[in-house]
Parts: sequence; C-alpha cells; structure tokens
Amino acid sequence: MSPAPAAELDYKPPDGGWGWVVVFGAHISIGFAYSTPKVLSIYFKEIQEDLGAGSSDMAWISSIMLAVMYAGGPVSTVLVNRFGSRPIVILGGLMCGFSMVAASFGSSLLQLYFCIGVIAGFGLSLNLNASLTIISKYFLARRPLANGLSMAGSPVFVCILAPANEYLLQKFGWRGSLLILGGLMLNCCVAGALMRPVILPRKPSTCALQKNMEEQPNTCNTKLKGSCMNNAKKFLDWSFFKDRGFIIYLIGNVLFIFGAYAPFVFLSAYAITQGIDEYSAAYLLSITGFVDMFVRPGTGLIANNKWVRPRIQYFFSFAMIFNGTCHLLCPLSKSYAFLVTYAVFFGMSFGMVFALIFECLMDLMGNQRFPSAVGLVTIIECFPMLLGPPAGGLLVDIFGEYKYLFLMSGSVIVIGGLFLFFMNICNYYMLERKKPAEDREQNQNNTENPDQSTSDEEMKAAMEQTEPRAKEKNGAQRDSCPDNAETPN
Amino acid sequence: MESATHRLQGDIMAASAAAEEGGVGGGFSDDAAGRGSREQVRNRENRREIIMSSFWEQLFFQILLLLVFCRHINTKTIGPTPPPLVSISSILPTDIRSVVLKGESQTENVELVNPVNLTLECTWTGNQNKLPNITGFWRKDGDEVENSRLTVQLENDQYNLKRVFSIVSVKNLGNYSCMFESEAKINFVLAAPHMGEVRDKPIVSYVGDSVVIACKMEETKPKPSTWNWYKANGTDKEQIFTAAEPLRYEIKNDERKTKLVVYNLTEADGGLYYCGAVYSINTTMGLVELKVINFKEPLKPFIAIVIEVIVLVAAILFYERYQSKKNYTAGKEMNDQTNTLTQGENNKPEEGSSMRQRKV
Repeated sequence: MSPAPAAELDYKPPDGGWGWVVVFGAHISIGFAYSTPKVLSIYFKEIQEDLGAGSSDMAWISSIMLAVMYAGGPVSTVLVNRFGSRPIVILGGLMCGFSMVAASFGSSLLQLYFCIGVIAGFGLSLNLNASLTIISKYFLARRPLANGLSMAGSPVFVCILAPANEYLLQKFGWRGSLLILGGLMLNCCVAGALMRPVILPRKPSTCALQKNMEEQPNTCNTKLKGSCMNNAKKFLDWSFFKDRGFIIYLIGNVLFIFGAYAPFVFLSAYAITQGIDEYSAAYLLSITGFVDMFVRPGTGLIANNKWVRPRIQYFFSFAMIFNGTCHLLCPLSKSYAFLVTYAVFFGMSFGMVFALIFECLMDLMGNQRFPSAVGLVTIIECFPMLLGPPAGGLLVDIFGEYKYLFLMSGSVIVIGGLFLFFMNICNYYMLERKKPAEDREQNQNNTENPDQSTSDEEMKAAMEQTEPRAKEKNGAQRDSCPDNAETPN
Repeated sequence: MESATHRLQGDIMAASAAAEEGGVGGGFSDDAAGRGSREQVRNRENRREIIMSSFWEQLFFQILLLLVFCRHINTKTIGPTPPPLVSISSILPTDIRSVVLKGESQTENVELVNPVNLTLECTWTGNQNKLPNITGFWRKDGDEVENSRLTVQLENDQYNLKRVFSIVSVKNLGNYSCMFESEAKINFVLAAPHMGEVRDKPIVSYVGDSVVIACKMEETKPKPSTWNWYKANGTDKEQIFTAAEPLRYEIKNDERKTKLVVYNLTEADGGLYYCGAVYSINTTMGLVELKVINFKEPLKPFIAIVIEVIVLVAAILFYERYQSKKNYTAGKEMNDQTNTLTQGENNKPEEGSSMRQRKV
C-alpha cells in the first residue's frame, strides 16, 4: 500500500469539462505520433521501385522517424515548459504537414530520410510530449482514464490510416498519397487549438487582473523568476537520477521496450513459417490492433478505481508480466486458432501496459516534473527501441527459427515486470519508514511559516494524492498566480 | 526472266523483219538491177545466215536464262501429313511425363522451355467393370489427333496409353488430353513458364515524372533467354525499342528481372504494358497497367483538407475568445457589485460620523 503523498499542485485540476475536449485533442495528436511510423511502411514498396532503393534502406525511414521522435523529448520538454502545450502542438502539426508535402516532391532517398525521418519525427515528438503534459495539467482524479483514452489514439489511427493509405496509394500513387497524408497531419494543429491552457482558479478578491493565468514561467513574479528560468533552460535534469522511483521505472521500462516491438515485426513472418497464408498472417496484426483499441480506455477505467489507483505501480508491473508471459507461450501454438488467441492476449497486454506507461510516470513524478521526466525517459528509451527488433532478427538468423525470438522477448519483459514489482515494494516500504520523520519536519515548518502552511493544508484537503513527494520542491517550482502569496486575506 | 526472253525474241523478230523489208525494198529498184541483184542475193544470203545464227543464239540464251532464274522456284506438292520426322527428331532432346489417374479427370501442367520430343504417358486403373480391351485416343485442344485411336489392353490391372509428341514451336503447345473410352481423361497443359507474381493494381505516376515498371520470373522457374517489352496499341502490341527513342525508354534486363524506365511521362504514356519472357519455344507475357495523372488531382483533396484545418482552428480560437469575453464581463459585473457593496458599507459609517460631527 503506497503511503499518502504530499501536496504537489497548487491548483485544483478541472478533472472534466473542457478537459474531455483536451483528451480528444490529445487522442488525435498521440494517434498520429504513434501510428505514422507504422503505416508509412505501406508506401515503401512503391518508393523502392521508383527510387531504386533496397528494402533495408526503406526500413531506415521508419527507424529514423521513431528514433528522432523519442530523442526529441528533452528539446520538446524545454519548449513546452517555456511556451505551454498549445503553440507546441500547433508547431508540431505544421512541421509534420510541411515535411510530408516536401517528401512528396522528393527524388532521392536522402531527401526522404531528412523530410520524413528527421523533420516529421521531430514534429511528432513535439506533439507527443505536449499532449501528455497537458493531460497531466487537466486531470488528477480521473487521470488514468484520461491517459487511457488519449493513448487509445495509437491503435485507432493505425486502424484508420492503414486502409486509407492503401486506397490513396492506388488512387494517387505514392507522391499524391504523401501529399494528402501531410494535409491530414495538419489536423494536429486543430488538436493543438483545442488544448486551451489551464485557467487557474483565483479567489475573486485577488483577481483584479482579467487575463488568463497560464503556467508560463514568464508570468512568475520577480522573486521566483530566477529559479523558473533555470528550470526551463535545463535540457536534462540530472537530479532525476537521484530519485529512486524514477530509476526503478526507467530500468523496468527499458527492459519492456527492448522486448516489446520485436514480436510485432516478426509475427506475420512467424505465422507464415507455421504454414499460414499471407493474408491470415497479416490479419493477426489487425486483431492485435483492434483489441488494443478497446483495452486501453478499459484499463484506464480500471486504474481509476479507488482500490487500484493507489496500487497503480503494481498494476503496471502485472500488465508487463502478463505481456511477457504471452510471448513465452507463443511458441507453443501449433495452429491458427492458437495464434489468434495469442494475438488477442498480446493486444490486451500491450494495451494495458501502454495505457499505464505514462500514467505511472505522472504518478511518480507529479505534474511539475512530468514534462522533464518524460523527455528524459523517451530519449533513454530510444536505444532499446532501436536495438530490440534487430536483436530479434539476429536471433532468428542464428538459430533459424522464430521461437527463440519470442522466448527472448518474453523473458526480458517478464524480468522487467518482476523487477518493477519487487523494487516498488522495497521503494514504498522505505518511503513509509521515512514518512514519520518527514511529518515531524512538516509540523516544525508549520509553526515557522503560517502562510505557507495554511495554503499547504488547503491544497491537501482539495485533492486525493497518490505519491510520496519531497516537500522542498514545492516552493521552488510553484509558478502560480503571484497574487496568492502576496495578498492573503 | 520472262521479259528478258521476250525482249530477245522481239529483237530477233525486229531484225528478221528488217532483213525482210530490206530484201523486198531491194527488189523494186531496176536501175542497178544487174549489179544490185547480185549484191542483193549476197545480202539476202548474209541476212539469212544472221537470222539462223541469231535463232540458235536466242534458244541458247533462253535456256541459259531459264536455268539461272528458275532455280529459285519452289514447287509445292501437297503430300500426306505429317512429313517423316525421323531425321529432325534425332536432334531434339526427349522428355517424358507420366500421370496416374486418380478419379475421373486430372490436369497436369507441363512447363517447356526448348523444343523437345515429349512422351506423354497416361495410366488408368480402370473402373468397376474392367474390360480387357478399351479404346484410347488423344486430343489436342479439343480436336482428336489423327491416327491416335488405339485399343488398350488391361495389363497389371491398368490401362496404359503413351504417345510421343514433337513440340517444336508455339503451334505445338496447348492442351493435350488422353481419353480412355470417353470415361477417364488426363489433361496435359503444355506451355512456356508463366510469371507468378503479376501486379494486379495499376502503377500511378505523374506527368513529367519518370516511372519504373518491373517484371520478375520466380527463382523456381527457368530463366528466360531475354526480355522484351511491348506497349498495347488498341488490340495490338507494339514492341518498345530503346534504340529508337533513347531519351524516353530504358530497359534494364537482369536474368530473372527486367525493368522498363519511362522518362518524361505524358498522359499518352498511360495504358497497358506487356513484359515478354522469351524462351525458345514461346514468349510468355505479363501485364502491367500504368496510369498517368496530372498533379492537380491529389492537390484538390489536399487543399480541401488545408481549408478545413484553417476553418476549424479559427472557429475554435474565436469561440474561446468569445467565451473568455463573456467570463470577463460576468466577472467584472460581479466585482463591481462587491465593490459597490463594500463602498456602501463604508459610506454609512462616514455619514454617521458626519452626522455626529454635525450634531456636535
């Protein structure tokens, strides 16, 4: 049982209302971010013939796009902290749109690598980071549900874009299709426009100013300006590595990502070696995506439950172990029915993990540190993501059969899940032991600073919290309406 | 040849006519008759000699001409079919295909690359009433092959029918069937290797762009000796020669793969293209469709989407500004109300004090 965490936010998130519109916007934005690298592979065969490239050259386009999308995390964090989510998502949408349009005029492979891989990848990384951040700002009590709904964008968009891309390819060829796909990606700008910055609630007497207060460090008062700008300017906040919870999460995630994508890449090839025809093999991946679509919001709903929410880290590790076990059991399948069952459970477990993956990070880090944390996590996750499928391919080449690939993926993921489970138990236990000492410190602080303690108490009463937090962070990172501190009534 | 002999005959006729005229003409003049007649007789004798020698020369020339020119004439004599193949068949390789029939009919695909003497063998286990003798015959493309009807005897509980076919050219390819008494049938489909992966969807490309059309023969099939490309023109196929238009077409052949590159596309370049895998026996065709469209076609949906995005973004932002203005005015009203209330409260004590002051 996780201990009661301390105050983190200095405002009460809306948890509804316009928040659901923001969830819709984030759904679109995250959907494009995760689905575009996957569905672009439909165009590869055509482009290959026209530009005279090999199939491994074409695979690099997707890899570069994913790598840049994940590696752009820290830069995206800085921009989001500085400007807020809305302008960044609009900028990301514009970058993606224009890069696809430029790619449609491309006449060499290098141009495609640059336009699709680098520029569109960077645009998508801006989208991803900003969407996750704004969800953490709008939701607290219903945050797991909001996360589940917005992350469901990925399988939904894969299901929509895959047949749409086929149709466009037949009608307009690959150049026209890339042009129209660029136009579709401009819809991320619409999603960005929906992401209204959070209006912080103010006491009526204090708000003589009638402008919307946004979480922008440039509205910090002069006393706090120095520390705010420092935080915004830091690319990588190395202090995260001192946080035990963060390190545990990071290691578990790295292990998961290493094993997660290889089965996707090799599932149809494995099915074909088991004697199944090409179309049924491709159908397996569609089944996985379809199940994934419904499981993600469902998991969010479950995670919102008052019994599960405090134990969300354990739920996350359970989902990971479930996923790994599916992969370990896959080589036992001997017929198409078994493979379909595997695909269904694969979709379920994958959806569960991905619905919770960012929710758990938000849970650990809290709203203030989440943008920087997610940037750091994505850039570190870049490496296992790029290494996983080729390592699986290497195993297939060495042993000549696919079962070792599934065994490797499954075992790595199960190890990651078990690691998370046990280390979280240790972590919470140690934090529980530290908590009485912290409470004693808190009481001392209360007698010294009456103002700060009253506002702290108000915040504690207003929210239900789930994670342990260090108290010192509050003062330095609070960039709220300055009038609050100045004019108590 | 005939005109030359006619000309020669004509010359000789003219010469003999001239000689006769001269002789007749000579007879009318009396003056120099004595002297002239002796000369005339001599002349006539000479002319006759010339005529006689020219006649033999004419004959000799005619025979010579006939021999020179008429050696090239073929005389077609319609004899019995087919001509004896013994001399040619010794050059061709031999191959054998045998099928045991299970059931009523069966089809066997035979891929041929080079001309061959193919032995087709059919074995049938018979039906319930196993007659000792049944008739078996061969069919090619539905028509019965001449002299192929035989009486087949039951040996080892089977009926066996075998025949050698000489497959030399594309005419010999087709559907051969061995028939057992119109009850059992085995089809042999003789053809050159076909391309398995034929692209069924059209290639779409743009005006001014260049496109690569590819054809491939699988590794499991024999490789063609060369590849040809044809463009469909109505119902005909026109072969594409890169030498004729080097700036527009380029053909890259690579054993089992071939690529046709068309530069500087125009709308007329759209249509059906055939890639032909050339084998000694026949050329098999693969079909690829090319569609050439103008760049404006995808531009229209693109512009529609951009307009939709701009409209939606503008609408969302305007709606937000409208809502915030409403909140602003509502908030301001509330503030004014609270301010007037506090002012009212402040005024009352002031009046009281003034009143108190006035009293004093």
